[in-house]
Amino acid sequence: MIIVPCPNCGPRNSGDLQNCGENISRPDPSTASLVEWREYLYMRENPAGWVTETWYCRGGCRRYFTIQRNTVTNEIRGQEAS
Amino acid sequence: MSEITFKSPVDVGPLTSPDGSVTVADAASTTKVQVRAGAGTAAAAALDVSYGSSRRRADDALVCGTRPDEWTIYGTPGQAAAISATVPTDGFVTVIDITHGRAMLRISGSNASASLNKICNLDLGEELTPNGAVFSASVGNVGCDLVRDDQNGQTSFLIACERSFGKFLFIAVADACTEFGVQIPAGWELHGH
Repeated sequence: MIIVPCPNCGPRNSGDLQNCGENISRPDPSTASLVEWREYLYMRENPAGWVTETWYCRGGCRRYFTIQRNTVTNEIRGQEAS
Repeated sequence: MSEITFKSPVDVGPLTSPDGSVTVADAASTTKVQVRAGAGTAAAAALDVSYGSSRRRADDALVCGTRPDEWTIYGTPGQAAAISATVPTDGFVTVIDITHGRAMLRISGSNASASLNKICNLDLGEELTPNGAVFSASVGNVGCDLVRDDQNGQTSFLIACERSFGKFLFIAVADACTEFGVQIPAGWELHGH
């Protein structure tokens, strides 16, 4: 079990939240090539280490927020509202 | 806004343990008014409750800060129009009567927290959820809005969920109370024992 700190609700069981994945920047749809769009939709870094990701507090405040999580140790730092 | 005769999804009376330490009672007919308003609006100022807390007004309505910029007002049955009228609607504000869309139950007694903690992820101890605390959590795998609303010095929680989950939630909470002697009515058992 991972305890994830929601900025509004405080520490919550990760089962009450949803991991929305790594934060990635969205390319401009009017200028992005098919390759860039495909990478935006499907490709992720998936590092063994620190990753910045978005979570959704579905069981509590129903807000999105950003945290940094170590994918090896599940250590979490620096949460902030999205 | 006209009042419609309320029909609860739970058709069984209060269930109480023999020693009276825990009681589960249907409270679905409670008036429930949802307010969404920006932080700077007159509605937010009038409701005067921050996220995670509640207060009982002079008209006995319970104002709860359910989520950031969202409030739920609970009142006696049939008071939706009167309660809605108390909320200023200047600016970006919505006031909706959700009485019929939500089921609600009340669990109270000295063993209420112990029973509820079996099926709720949150720590329902005095430190984290004192009287007046408002929070949302999974109860029996159902997403619920909860309020710690003690009555006569007894620990008490109001639990609201989507109406279609109401009967299941009632049974799930009652099932968590069987350790203290609550008897589940025949045909309502969660388990095939």
